[in-house]
Amino acid sequence: MSQQTPLLGELESFLRLTSVREKTISANMANVDTPGYRTRDIDFQAELGRAMRGRAGYEQSAAGDMRMEPVVREVPGLAERADGNNVDLDREALVLSEVQLQYQLGIQLIKDQFHQILSAINGES
Amino acid sequence: MNLFDSLSISASALSAERQRSEIVAANLANAETTHTEAGGPFHRREVVFEPVSAPSFGFTLSDAVNRGGRVAGEVKIAEVIDDPTPPVLRYEPGNPDANKQGYVAYPAINPAMEMVDLMDSVRSYQLNASAVSATKQMIQQSIDILKS
Amino acid sequence: MSNMISGIGAGNSIGSLGSIGSLPGTAATGGGADAGFGGILNSALDQVNQLNSNAQQQIGSLLTNGNSDLSSVMVAVEKADVAFQLMMQVRNKIVSAYQDIEKMQF
Repeated sequence: MSQQTPLLGELESFLRLTSVREKTISANMANVDTPGYRTRDIDFQAELGRAMRGRAGYEQSAAGDMRMEPVVREVPGLAERADGNNVDLDREALVLSEVQLQYQLGIQLIKDQFHQILSAINGES
Repeated sequence: MNLFDSLSISASALSAERQRSEIVAANLANAETTHTEAGGPFHRREVVFEPVSAPSFGFTLSDAVNRGGRVAGEVKIAEVIDDPTPPVLRYEPGNPDANKQGYVAYPAINPAMEMVDLMDSVRSYQLNASAVSATKQMIQQSIDILKS
Repeated sequence: MSNMISGIGAGNSIGSLGSIGSLPGTAATGGGADAGFGGILNSALDQVNQLNSNAQQQIGSLLTNGNSDLSSVMVAVEKADVAFQLMMQVRNKIVSAYQDIEKMQF
């Protein structure tokens, strides 16, 4: 059905990448006091584009392993403290809010897709 | 799965920050302790945070997954070390813990610094608690796809 | 026969889905044996089975080694459920069409 409902497939990729980004933020927050830790993030737009271009390869295989995972990079330009840690609490909190809202958006759009399809099936206007 | 991994990561941070605040609280409580079971004044202690795995940037998450059952990105207290700073000597000849010269060895603990440390730990704890909250909400929303 | 099928509404509800169920036999319900009621229902059934087994696989993967993505699993489950509802509607329409035909007196 992914071939027949491309938007659903794209939304799935969108949600998956959003959850990856959220995990990265959690890791940054967890390591806010770790000496030498550098803030990490993914390039969301680039990864989303990559996911949508290579749809077939980006899906999970039958065994469930994730191939072509998004690449996590160090975030440049953050101020460093004495112990070498450059995690900025405010930045992480802000990105977390952004990610939360993004995820909510994706879920809502998916629900909407299904509502449309179900309306057509059940003949409701 | 990313969201559940995220919970593990945040949980590890909550645990580490709690341990840290316990150590700091002990420092504060024993700032004036001149006599311990081991003899000598209380030694100030510090925690050392360490990431569970520390790959260089440019890696993919699956490269560093599940080392010994833990998720990449988790944090832990690597060790609790004694502060090597020598004790502060104060001249108190009447004190039973005084040495021959009349000096008593006090722990080299600055309560103001410990308080700042404690507040920092609390702030980090709150930050990670908010991450748990966000992750939980995302998991719940995913399950809600099946509702209505 | 094709007029009857398209007029019944089975064709309407299936056709209006557009993207989800391009079942064979809806666009050109001509004469072929596969394009009849049985064919349509069988296609719907096949799709349901396929989506169902995919959903179960993903659920299993999520529970055992946690390698699936939660949102993907939920979408897979919902797709299977929707396909099942589609099939039930198709079945209902076919049954009611058959009953209509039975009532006809020749």
